[in-house]
Amino acid sequence: MEVTYLLLAIAMLFALIATYLAIVERNLVKAVVLSAVQSVAFTLALYLLRAPDIVLVYLPITVGIYPAAILFLIKKTEEVEEL
Amino acid sequence: MKKELLIATSLAITVVILAYIATLGGGLGPLFSDLRPLAEVFLGTTLNPEKRFFTAMSPEGVTAIVWDYRGLDTLFETAVFYLAIIGAVAIYRDISEKVGFKGGGLGLSKIVKVVTKLLIPINIAIAISIALHGHLTPGGGFQAGAAMAVVPMILIVVFSRYFLLGLKLSKSLALAFRSIGLAGIALTVFLPIIMALLSGFNAYIMQNQVKANAPVGFPAYVGNVLISGSLILYNVFEFLAVTFGFSILFLLLSIEEDLVKEQMRGEVGEH
Repeated sequence: MEVTYLLLAIAMLFALIATYLAIVERNLVKAVVLSAVQSVAFTLALYLLRAPDIVLVYLPITVGIYPAAILFLIKKTEEVEEL
Repeated sequence: MKKELLIATSLAITVVILAYIATLGGGLGPLFSDLRPLAEVFLGTTLNPEKRFFTAMSPEGVTAIVWDYRGLDTLFETAVFYLAIIGAVAIYRDISEKVGFKGGGLGLSKIVKVVTKLLIPINIAIAISIALHGHLTPGGGFQAGAAMAVVPMILIVVFSRYFLLGLKLSKSLALAFRSIGLAGIALTVFLPIIMALLSGFNAYIMQNQVKANAPVGFPAYVGNVLISGSLILYNVFEFLAVTFGFSILFLLLSIEEDLVKEQMRGEVGEH
């Protein structure tokens, strides 16, 4: 039981770091990849929280479909965010 | 080679350890020690043939809640997704995805293509199994559709979008399959009412099992197989609608921007 809480904490810490890096990243392609990394950490947390239904939908949407859609849109606009 | 073997082994060990910790290792502690009254209602009725007016006849509580206990919410969620895709189709209404059709030779390297060809059948099998077992194990129509929608996306990225057109998966075909899915959902919603009208009984909209004063319901078993009445139908039709909804989105988004602009200016196109 303690191991579960420990893994949960580690997963959420990874998610926090990835989220921060995604926000400060100027290159949008890298930001999307970091956002996908954050989603992988969230998936792990959801699995440990016994929510397999959410894991099954969260993984393909946030690691596959959402980054792909955003990457298509980035290709149509510009890759680096300008101030 | 050694490095790849090391990575594969450590990945496998991680998965096994995670699975052990979350299940046999105790996970978050005993699950049924302190149930809230609402959870007791759902767990006590989701698969309980003795309470035949309240049960959804499905061991998968989440799917039972999503398509039976609160079926209308899910119906309107599906409608929102439907309208989002229709919005994308409306924006791209005069733009044909077939313009600029090229043969082979596009996409990523041969290694990536071969690996993708090996992985795609596995992905399709898993998606179909999530849809068909949605009323028995975690999963369901949307989950399966999302897993399946990864297939056209990967095909577009690895083989280029012309590969999908070569497979005859055009926007219109995807729209047709999507409409079949949505029509199936609508039919399943109204079927109990139609059956009740024909036989002179009462019925509820989106009714699954028999209710008090509404004796028309879907069968929970076909032979000895538990199909949970309308739940398997909703899962399969939602699977179709979501898969092809996302496919339309990727087919449209992957059209090269210069081709889109050319067609918007009316230089190329089917007018």
